[in-house]
Amino acid sequence: MESNRGAEDPLAALAAADDARQRLTTGLRLPVGFYPALAGGVAVQVGAAAYGIAAQTVTGVAVALAGAAVFLGVAAFLLHRFSRTNGVRVDGLASQVVLVAGARASLAYLGALAVGIVAAFQSVWWLVAVASVAAGIGCALGARHWWRAYRHDPAAHEGGASPRTLGLLAVAACLGCAVLLVLG
Amino acid sequence: MAGLDPLIHAPARLQLVTALSAVSEAEFATLRSALEVSDSVLSKHVSALVEAGYVRSRKSVHAGRRTTWVSLTPAGRRALHDHVAALRRLIDAVQ
Repeated sequence: MESNRGAEDPLAALAAADDARQRLTTGLRLPVGFYPALAGGVAVQVGAAAYGIAAQTVTGVAVALAGAAVFLGVAAFLLHRFSRTNGVRVDGLASQVVLVAGARASLAYLGALAVGIVAAFQSVWWLVAVASVAAGIGCALGARHWWRAYRHDPAAHEGGASPRTLGLLAVAACLGCAVLLVLG
Repeated sequence: MAGLDPLIHAPARLQLVTALSAVSEAEFATLRSALEVSDSVLSKHVSALVEAGYVRSRKSVHAGRRTTWVSLTPAGRRALHDHVAALRRLIDAVQ
């Protein structure tokens, strides 16, 4: 690395830089059980939200808030494990996990949430459960799709919301639910 | 060589900023392993790039152990993009 040969030869300099980036990213690993844990967290959140919205009671809002707390706890744990295991932070991964970024994952999440809410209003609880699981699987598949794209071209996919932004969004969401709880 | 950035033209610095472009933030020890350099060499380059505003570093403590996290700033990301473009132009011109 200390050789100056690369500075004289642009091709060698670029190749060495790409090698360094590859050495950093090829060793990155998702924590064990990452996808099932993410799917479980999303499923709990969607199920709780569907119940809470349909119930339209203080208890319902509290359940929805608890579901969101479970999901945020799982997401924070997974991202912390990833960071501790690999010695890097990747904001793109955090956005995938917390914000369900990505068209397909967002569509799966919103579609399943809508089905879950309608089913909860009709008290069709088995369908709420199915929609919750579908949302979890959709988000996990979305995260897997992003991870593969990131491994293929890390520089193009590493970007995302910073931890500070995600923290502010989480606080805002929880405050919104708390306001609903108080007003309800 | 028009467009080349002297601050990241040295191979060691180019490797450092290129590696950082793949992540949002990396631990000092992780970078040291990826770049296969000593603590002092990496520390010297990080300090120079921090001074230039291309890199940001922050201290953290985990399980009682002090760690340093390093990340590329938007200015550093732009500089890398421009420098790599200039290198590619140079390669094209030669070929």
